[in-house]
Amino acid sequence: MEAENNKLGYTDIHEDVVRSIVVTGPKYYATLATAGGLALVCFFFPWFYQLYYGIGAAGMNHPGVWGTYLASFIFWIGLSHSGTLLSCVLHLTNSSWRKAMYRSAEAMTLFSLVVAATYVFVHVGRPWFAHWTFPYPNQWELWPNFRSPLLFDVMAIATYLTGSTIFIYMGSIPDFAAVRDRTVGWRNTMYSLLSLGWRGTDTEWHRLHWAYTFLAVLIIPLAVSVHSIVSWDFAMSIVPGLHQTIFAPYFVVGAIYSGTAGIVTVMFVLRKYMGFEQYITKLHFDNLGKLLLLLSLLWTYINAIELFTGWYSGTSDEYEQLSFKLFGFYAPLYWEMILFCAVAPLLMISKRFRTSFVPMLILSIAINIGMYTERFLIVATSLPRQYLPDAWGFYAPSLVELSIMVGSFAVFTTLFLIFVKIFPSVSMYEVKETMETPKLKPAIPQAGSPA
Amino acid sequence: MSLFSRFMDGWRKYRKPGYYDEFDYHWTMTVDLDSCTGCEACMTACQAENNIPLVGEEELAKGREIQWIRIERYWEGEYPNAKLNFMPMMCQHCDAAPCETVCPVSATYHNQDGLNTQIYNRCIGTRSCAVYCPYEVRYFNYYNHHWDSPLDQQLNPDVSVRGKGVMEKCTFCIQRIRDAKDLAKDDDRRRVRDGEVQPACVQSCPTKALTFGDRKDTESQVYQSMNNPRAYKVLDELNTDSSVVYLKKVDA
Amino acid sequence: MPNIDRREFLKLVGAGGVGAGAGFMLKESKKDPTEYLIPYVVAPEDFSSGIATWYNSVCSMCSAGCGISVRTREGRAKKIEGNPSHPVNQGRLCGMGQAGLQVLYNPDRITEPLLRTGERGAMSFEQITWEDGLGQLAERLELLRAARRGNNVCLLSEGTNGHLAQLFESFMRQLGSNRLHHYDFDHPHTLYAANQGFFGQDHLPYYDLQNTRLLLSFGADYLTNWISPLHHSLGFGASRQRQEEERGRFVQIEPRMSISGAAADEWVAASPGTEGILALGMANHMVSQGVYQGADRAAWSAALSDYSPSMVAEQTGVSESTITRLADDFAGTQPSLAIGGGAAANHSNGVDMLVAVNVLNYLAGNVGREGGLLFNPQPAGTVSRPHQASYRSMLELAEAAQQGEIDVLIINGTNPVFTLPAAAEFREALDAIPLVVSLSSFFDETTVLADLILPSNSYLESWGDNFPEAGVGFRVGAVSQPVVSPLYNTRATGDIILSLAQRIGMSSTIPWTSMEECIKDGWRRIYEQGDPQTLAQGFEEFWISLLKAGVWGETTTGTTSFEPDQNIIAGIGVAAPEFSGSEQDYPFILHPYLSPNFHDGRGANLPWMQERPDPMTSVVYGSWVELNPTTAEELGLIEGDLVDIESPHGQVLAPVFIYPAIMPNVIAMPIGQGHSEYGRYAKDRGANPLEILSPQMEPITGNLATSATRVRLVATGRHIDLVKTSGTSRDLGRNIVQTTGDEGHEVSDAGLNSIPITELT
Repeated sequence: MEAENNKLGYTDIHEDVVRSIVVTGPKYYATLATAGGLALVCFFFPWFYQLYYGIGAAGMNHPGVWGTYLASFIFWIGLSHSGTLLSCVLHLTNSSWRKAMYRSAEAMTLFSLVVAATYVFVHVGRPWFAHWTFPYPNQWELWPNFRSPLLFDVMAIATYLTGSTIFIYMGSIPDFAAVRDRTVGWRNTMYSLLSLGWRGTDTEWHRLHWAYTFLAVLIIPLAVSVHSIVSWDFAMSIVPGLHQTIFAPYFVVGAIYSGTAGIVTVMFVLRKYMGFEQYITKLHFDNLGKLLLLLSLLWTYINAIELFTGWYSGTSDEYEQLSFKLFGFYAPLYWEMILFCAVAPLLMISKRFRTSFVPMLILSIAINIGMYTERFLIVATSLPRQYLPDAWGFYAPSLVELSIMVGSFAVFTTLFLIFVKIFPSVSMYEVKETMETPKLKPAIPQAGSPA
Repeated sequence: MSLFSRFMDGWRKYRKPGYYDEFDYHWTMTVDLDSCTGCEACMTACQAENNIPLVGEEELAKGREIQWIRIERYWEGEYPNAKLNFMPMMCQHCDAAPCETVCPVSATYHNQDGLNTQIYNRCIGTRSCAVYCPYEVRYFNYYNHHWDSPLDQQLNPDVSVRGKGVMEKCTFCIQRIRDAKDLAKDDDRRRVRDGEVQPACVQSCPTKALTFGDRKDTESQVYQSMNNPRAYKVLDELNTDSSVVYLKKVDA
Repeated sequence: MPNIDRREFLKLVGAGGVGAGAGFMLKESKKDPTEYLIPYVVAPEDFSSGIATWYNSVCSMCSAGCGISVRTREGRAKKIEGNPSHPVNQGRLCGMGQAGLQVLYNPDRITEPLLRTGERGAMSFEQITWEDGLGQLAERLELLRAARRGNNVCLLSEGTNGHLAQLFESFMRQLGSNRLHHYDFDHPHTLYAANQGFFGQDHLPYYDLQNTRLLLSFGADYLTNWISPLHHSLGFGASRQRQEEERGRFVQIEPRMSISGAAADEWVAASPGTEGILALGMANHMVSQGVYQGADRAAWSAALSDYSPSMVAEQTGVSESTITRLADDFAGTQPSLAIGGGAAANHSNGVDMLVAVNVLNYLAGNVGREGGLLFNPQPAGTVSRPHQASYRSMLELAEAAQQGEIDVLIINGTNPVFTLPAAAEFREALDAIPLVVSLSSFFDETTVLADLILPSNSYLESWGDNFPEAGVGFRVGAVSQPVVSPLYNTRATGDIILSLAQRIGMSSTIPWTSMEECIKDGWRRIYEQGDPQTLAQGFEEFWISLLKAGVWGETTTGTTSFEPDQNIIAGIGVAAPEFSGSEQDYPFILHPYLSPNFHDGRGANLPWMQERPDPMTSVVYGSWVELNPTTAEELGLIEGDLVDIESPHGQVLAPVFIYPAIMPNVIAMPIGQGHSEYGRYAKDRGANPLEILSPQMEPITGNLATSATRVRLVATGRHIDLVKTSGTSRDLGRNIVQTTGDEGHEVSDAGLNSIPITELT
């Protein structure tokens, strides 16, 4: 990577990034309009329809009371796991290859969390009272139920959201300052505000580095705990097939897995459409690929354990869950999930595969499809098959649910598109750290040096 | 008390259902499976008493029934030796209720009579209580419900009509329990006597398969039932500590 | 501010006050009625806000006559519960009884008298006044009576008893007509005939299920719809709840397991129509084994010689060992009781079958003893207990109509166009009747064909009384009173008849101006026959206490002894059942059964009943046809496949339901759906198996042999998802429903033994 960046200088990175922010062509606006339009039509309109008429617009029933809303919620939280978590881990291990991509990855985290938070409001029966889950003093003297895993969820996600926002914002301050110095007009005003008067002094750099590292250290356990807590929504129930201790590692591994795959997808897009070919290179894909492979193997192992415990228990309840998953109505989805998440990623053993951009893109998308299927199956195959066989049912998503699912991607894309035009999507100052310090031209020509 | 002992005291109370040291009453229901004929009179009685909505054919086709008490069917064997066993299933009012721990806003909690209560106007509709209930006796209102006029004239004014987005379930006819307690209080502040309060289902059962009472009252029918060698609880292995005692069907 | 002296000040205040008050009053008077929180300053006498008022009455949802107590709040009926004082149901009530509220508050009730304007059946009516409607009808009746053609008037009513029935009788007699027919689909004609034939009694005995220790039911679904289901359920429950050795045992003999079959300890599948033969096989065994030691043993032996268990086994499909075991148990358990009904009683050999059941009771010594069959006393007072019109009578009525012998048909509550098979051509017969009047509350299939509709109050808005037939072994009567004011411009059936009587000049014999008066008068007569204690309190006191209790009884019992005569014994025999259609063309026997939710179809317009899952199958809002699993497999059918059920007389379409407890060559369908009218909840929903029944009759009574139709199944290739609430109806080894005979199941320690009482400490 050093070799490639040798030819690049500080100016280049500045110009490339500022250009990516300032220059907006019709293609950008078209994409933004499409994404925004889709978000409105596919996400917000069906949601408002559901708000007006009731959760009945979705496909949930009795006993399948949870559906794609929760599956999507978990999917989006999962996606959120890789960006910031990876960024923090790699920061603490001082790896250089993270520098070009971590900003966008953190943005991915943030927006996934935002979409996931919106999903909470979509999922809940009376979202206008959702604020009751927050512990604020009120005249009924009522506090939320702190024993509830759903409340841990609320706390954890709120913390993670706050943490990630502060983290990404703080890390971007020097870059905002750099962009401020190169823009005029309303942009200049905006970036002046955003950069909080950054002057680039030693003290400021030192404080930034310290605060950044401090947050990085905090966010790692936070991220691990967030998805563990989300998994406990299921694991603390006594639903057969869900009530397993493996759920916390299962979800965390799955989250990092799907998040990393998400990063690969986003990196591909950034590279291709934002002109960052020079900064996001084969090395990044190679390393991400190795990480994905490791996570895939872990994920496969955990799934195998789940199957094993289901079979080993010998009880009709657990065995039925297993059997319904593997051979029931949703069996094709289960096997598709295995194919995409356990079998196909083995292709990444080959370095050639890992360093080829388009195949990695396709694989990363496939992995995320498989991971979404995994979350869907958790909800759709466990609830309709509980302890009392006479109460078994069947759940299938409705059109409103599917539309909102598609729409959530559009919302995410819209947010991301807006992001790339406000935030510097590649971290300028960190990339500069990988470059050779440019030699300054002397102010007074010295004898022997070029004029 | 020292800080530590106060902590331990709180911890001890925290572990009890509803944080009560002692319940005022401990309402219990007995279901005699040997007497239940599956006639479903209890289902209609409950529907009439508690303003249970008519969800309609379309919603039923989607699986969104609302049946606070339902009759489950379990066939045994094959023709010509097939047998059909009926099992009435309603909220078991578990003392260690899984649903109570998971509601993020405490819309469901254990009251001083040992009942698991659902507070409709606190419920925000996360539906996690329905997931956590192993008996699957919690029902969600997916839509606002409608009664073709003048069927709404029949609605019981003592029971709220639930709007969309809210969870509901059997309450052991808490409105009747409250009325009975009021009456007993007016009548010389005595306790409610055995048989004085009967939920709608118990009252209508043509074979008297259901009985209801306070298990703190050692003279009550339900107390005797609990000592019956045929007594068992459904899904007892889950340690939910339910308040509904079933009497085994007799193989004769 | 100008100076105001005191006088001015008071004037202003006064004016202001009045003005404000006036303004307020004006605003008040302009308020929409629903804006008032409590609508009355002076409330009507019978309600106080927030406090419930209870009225005792009698349920009319089936003919059992259970006593009810109705809870009303602010003049609205809220809940129907059993009347604890009524000996028939003792405070309990079935679902259909509770759904009576939906009869009262049904959105599809007829609210005004109507006169037909368009074609018959086109549902074009105009509202008229009662004056008008009654006037028109009275005019026609008067004309016919004057011309001595009163017999051209027919009153076809649902089953009634008590003073309303008496009123009908008086009215028709005064009119000069002998065409008063009561017609309920489920009337047990063959049971009456069997009791008449064997015991010489013209009313039903009391079947003491409560105290019996072995009940043998030949097809009677006694827990759901046979005679007095609630009383039998109470008996069943009491029997089950006795101590171990005393616990009653229940055996059900029928080709398709009914609810009573599911509750039974043993279900025996006998070939349809051979139940009577099975009974005689048991009787033969009892006599040949010397269990029966009566003097007339020889006569019995001779009469039963054709029914040895081995011969019977062949005909019925029940093994010889089962027959002899059942017979030994039946004779050996004291007391035991045999009953018969349902499909078994509705074959071509129905009467003989029920006589055979009586034979079993007699031979086992159950007649006239507790836990067996007890004879009822004669009904109270002078109230009538009319026998109903059989299928044959209905055919004769249709024939008479076709011959132009009927000028006016008055229908009250019964729905023959729905419950009679198409082969009876009753609908066509109606075409030949110039004036069809309906007193019903709903647009059912018969009422839509009416020319004049004079809608009745629902039973909750009416005065009436009821003397339950099989009762409880002693005389019982109950008065039903209105629990709410009539909701619409309808009148009580009795009041309609009384008004007509007034107009036609029958006041001398029918003097009452209201049904309340008529009932009260009738009860005065009962009161006058009472004991000195009753007489001492005076009639008004008696009447008030009657209304308060909701029930009246007299512990007169019936006869206890019985001796069958030689001719009867010699005549005992059950012929093989006859079916319509050849076995080749129509390989299955259709077994229609009264649905627990809809009975004979009357409950189909009650949304509670449509929404309540069928107890055996859990299907809602639809019909289905039950197939044996092996049969379904052979035909390649799965649940939800739509099939045409074809008889020699028609076809209906229904989805398949795989039913584990039905004989392979029998298919069953619930009766009650398949309405083409009858309101939004019932209309165009499901299939009516009665349509395709063949007009086979039991020869003695003329009763329709509903179970004698052979059918074939034709798969249509179409499929629907049956709407049902049950998931998988198998325990899967999870030990959810536990029985005392459970061995080798995974059972937790806590489950098997008695539960220790824990107090919270």
